[in-house]
Amino acid sequence: MDVLNVEYMLGLVPVLLKYLPLTLQLAGVGMVLALSLACLFAIVRVLRIPVLNQLTIVFISFFRGTPLLVQLFLFYYGLPQLVSALTVIDGVTATIMGLTMHFSAYMAESIRAAIVGVDRSQTEAALSIGMTNSQLMRRIVLPQATRVALPTLMNYFIDMIKATSLAFTLGVTELMGATQKEAAGSFLYFEAFIVAAVMYWIVVELLSKLQNYLEIRLNKAYSR
Amino acid sequence: MKTLLINTLLLVSLLASAPLLAQKEPLRVGMSGQYFPFTFVEQDELKGFDVDVMNALGKEMGRDIQYETANFSGLFGMLGAGRIDTVANQITITEERKKAYIFTDPYVYDGAQVVTKKGNTEIQGVEDLKGKTVAVNLGSNFEALLQELPYADQINIKTYESNLERDTALGRVDAFVMDRVSASQIIKEKPLPLELAGPTFSQITNAYPFRDNETGRALRDEVNKALETLRNNGTLATISEKWFGTDITQP
Repeated sequence: MDVLNVEYMLGLVPVLLKYLPLTLQLAGVGMVLALSLACLFAIVRVLRIPVLNQLTIVFISFFRGTPLLVQLFLFYYGLPQLVSALTVIDGVTATIMGLTMHFSAYMAESIRAAIVGVDRSQTEAALSIGMTNSQLMRRIVLPQATRVALPTLMNYFIDMIKATSLAFTLGVTELMGATQKEAAGSFLYFEAFIVAAVMYWIVVELLSKLQNYLEIRLNKAYSR
Repeated sequence: MKTLLINTLLLVSLLASAPLLAQKEPLRVGMSGQYFPFTFVEQDELKGFDVDVMNALGKEMGRDIQYETANFSGLFGMLGAGRIDTVANQITITEERKKAYIFTDPYVYDGAQVVTKKGNTEIQGVEDLKGKTVAVNLGSNFEALLQELPYADQINIKTYESNLERDTALGRVDAFVMDRVSASQIIKEKPLPLELAGPTFSQITNAYPFRDNETGRALRDEVNKALETLRNNGTLATISEKWFGTDITQP
């Protein structure tokens, strides 16, 4: 067996670190957009708004039912073929679009579950003291639903960070793309990919810490 | 008087051409960045024979070169969608590709080569690939070359996005097929136990593909002109010597 080329690995760290911000940007923007979209979908689904509800069901079904890679290729290579003006969708945009739609489909369902999961008696109590529907949502249901939804939403965020590694197939050189190119030039695959793996791992670990902190805060009212 | 006239004319033409030169759009060039030694990355720097030739062409044409790197199988998709103007990744001219794209004059003459793990005595050439598993790059011309062999149905062809050299060295596949000069360079410079198996089995010529429309044709002609200049002034040969120790830009 060859000896591990530690010197090469150390040299690679600063090079690959330069691409970490793009990875985080893809996931960060994707998460904000996906979360907003998912909240809309969840509300449409919970309130069963006619027409929108059916459209949302189809949207969620499609984006949850097809692989993310297929969706990315559709946005990036497919759409400009139909409408050539859509070439303006560059690799970064297509990736963010794909991540947003794909993950909003998943998140919508877990947010809906969290809202539906808030006990019916809470709603009845709120209405009995004369709260409006919007007050009921803002003051009673959503705060409780947030607490329930947080762990699964963080799960999706973590998943999304790792899913950004697909962006290289669209010509976006993020962390994974940079690693793949360095590895193909040096033929030192283990060294290159273990450095990338550790980088992803550290980012996700930091997020887990954030999740713990948020959970403790949201659980304050329930601790006895 | 006459010199004054000529000087004035020169000045006018210079003034007229200066903004033209400055306004020239950069040429958007797609490459994988994963095909040593034609295009590869070392410490974040894009290098290789194709990079050097492209840079020289850009200088000759007075255009900036804007590199876009993506997996090889995606490059023609990007070209077709108009995201890039051409592909510089040792692209082989084939009948199939000629139907969809127009090509510049060839800038590399090479051959297809079977490569095996060092010490493999079973495979001595392309005839011995019967019943073997052979790796090729996804979407590459070498896959088509293997399919054309009369005993193609007896070859188990495995397509890769990249890293097929390592898989052959590991023994996961019996051989891979690539162009001769790249294969020789990898064996010479990289720590992989590989060896060439037999002579080349098919001539390949490489050129730059462009979209078959007005802009594409104009760019193609412009590149052709620059290519001819670089060939005549020896630049192409010099770049080739640098990477391969031999001139692969002549037939």
